[in-house]
Amino acid sequence: MKTWSRGRTLGAGIGLIVLTNAIALGGVWWNRSSTPESALTLSERELGLPWRSLRLMENSGLALNLNVRVAGRQAGEFAGGQMVNGGTPEWLDAAKMAALGFPVDTARADGERQQHARELPREVILVMELAGPAWQRALEKARESAGRHAAAAAVNVGSKQFADRAKQANDELAREENSNSRLFVIDAAAASCYSAGPCGPPRTVGEMARPKRPASSPGSATARFTYPTRYADHLNLLPPLANPAAAASASARNFSSAGASNRG
Amino acid sequence: MPEAPAPSRTEAQERVDGIHSFRDELARLADEGILRLDAAQQAAVHYHHEHLLAEFAALFDVDRDSRAKQLSLGMRVASFLGALALAASVFFLFYQFWGHFAETAQVGILIASSFASFGLTMWLQRRDATGYFTKLAALVAFACFVLNITMLGQIFNITPSDKALLPWAAMAFLLAYTCDLRLLLAAGICCVIAYVQARVGTWHGVYWLHAGERPENFFPVAALLFVFPLLVAHRRFPGFAPIYRVFGLLCLFLPMLILSHWAYGSYIDLDADLIEGGYQVAGFVASALVIWLGARRGWPVTVNTGIVFFVIFLYTKFYQWWWEIMPKYLFFLVVGLTAVLILLILKRLRQTFHAPAGEGGP
Repeated sequence: MKTWSRGRTLGAGIGLIVLTNAIALGGVWWNRSSTPESALTLSERELGLPWRSLRLMENSGLALNLNVRVAGRQAGEFAGGQMVNGGTPEWLDAAKMAALGFPVDTARADGERQQHARELPREVILVMELAGPAWQRALEKARESAGRHAAAAAVNVGSKQFADRAKQANDELAREENSNSRLFVIDAAAASCYSAGPCGPPRTVGEMARPKRPASSPGSATARFTYPTRYADHLNLLPPLANPAAAASASARNFSSAGASNRG
Repeated sequence: MPEAPAPSRTEAQERVDGIHSFRDELARLADEGILRLDAAQQAAVHYHHEHLLAEFAALFDVDRDSRAKQLSLGMRVASFLGALALAASVFFLFYQFWGHFAETAQVGILIASSFASFGLTMWLQRRDATGYFTKLAALVAFACFVLNITMLGQIFNITPSDKALLPWAAMAFLLAYTCDLRLLLAAGICCVIAYVQARVGTWHGVYWLHAGERPENFFPVAALLFVFPLLVAHRRFPGFAPIYRVFGLLCLFLPMLILSHWAYGSYIDLDADLIEGGYQVAGFVASALVIWLGARRGWPVTVNTGIVFFVIFLYTKFYQWWWEIMPKYLFFLVVGLTAVLILLILKRLRQTFHAPAGEGGP
């Protein structure tokens, strides 16, 4: 292998730095240059601040967590003594999984079951709505559940179990009204659909980082993204879950996300 | 007659070591009465060697004796630790003060740090005969470039992509070949491994960050790395070819080892026991072939890598067969006797094969 002259090496290095930054920044400019299909104004219910102890570490940057939910079949019901929040989305059935590229068949034997369990995550595009019908349904369900359990506790006076369930259902309603994220994933499509083709016109891929591991409550996920620094001081002064309307807002475009997996 | 290209620092150091070895052996032969040069020959050889040693010392600051060699090792360790510490310092500096800058300033600082560190490396390379300060600067330059791309991704929430590995690999290779730095060569190879296995996984429909959960995605890059030194000669970089081969073998044997115990990570749609058994056999056969090939071609690092994995495959089989049913003293006796048997076989192998070229040859 021939060695390059110093001039050539210097030129190659500078060219590489310039080209890489140009591609990265050019991609950012291109992504922001088009008009988004929809712009969501998120509150602190959907954009969570990191834990206060983490905020005080040697890090002047601020990364917010995007709290995303799904409407599961068992959402709002008690299972194992706990109220279920989320679960498997109702729209994520076998047909949808097949449309997303996962092999789905009617096999039920143990050996074939393991074949499904070996499937790895695929890249998909998620469709989300903010404070839409999915959240309204969750709110209605929480209200119905609180009313039902309150009525059952009123009938079974003296029963600790009924009283506890009524309290849990009431607390869940309060959370649903005041603090739970209103951002729901309502549909998904294979990522290959988002180049120009039969699945629709070209769309702008969003800026959100991929969702990280699911949060503590099942059926929700978080994604981290960096917040504009000019709001950092304001956000740092906010107590946790203060007046939702007073929280700073950020506009978000279509989301590019990954991680829909066959875990069933 | 065309002029021979100037030697690299590694070649110069090898020549210096060869001169010292020659002098020692010549003195031994003279003492034993086998060979004694006459005065004119001794003077000519001595003058030639002294001239070479002085020239190499001036150009490359080579180690002229064993004491200098030991000090050089200490300098290499200090250089490596210094580079790590400086890279960490740059990272935490950004971390601490980042939030106070506007986006434009952040981008400007990131790009400027990449340019400045790379420029410093090139400037030091012209002036630093020892090469230690150049290597330190090269490691910091690579760290700054990685930070450049990573932080841009965080600032603008760019969707993570395996394509970022390509410029990192390019910068690592550029600095490795410019500064003769094997650590950066290894970093560049790691980036290439990560990118190729991510691409192979993506072609199978897997999201790239999870491609590593299918060990077979590493086989194509294993072949690529092992064959690369055969296609591109590295005479001026004798320490580089073994590194390519070792990483290639690691990308071959480690997935085989994993799949020989965990069939569910395989793309192959067969019975799990069949897959595991197949990979166990393949591991034994492949490691034996690698030992044979390394001994034949004179690649000691390749031979050692093959031996290590052959032993690992063998001992894991022993563990599966006998750990539960044998008394422990008997188990370890069998393991020890197997090691003795391997020694005898390798001794026989060493007698059978010559080693015409060093590990630096293709």
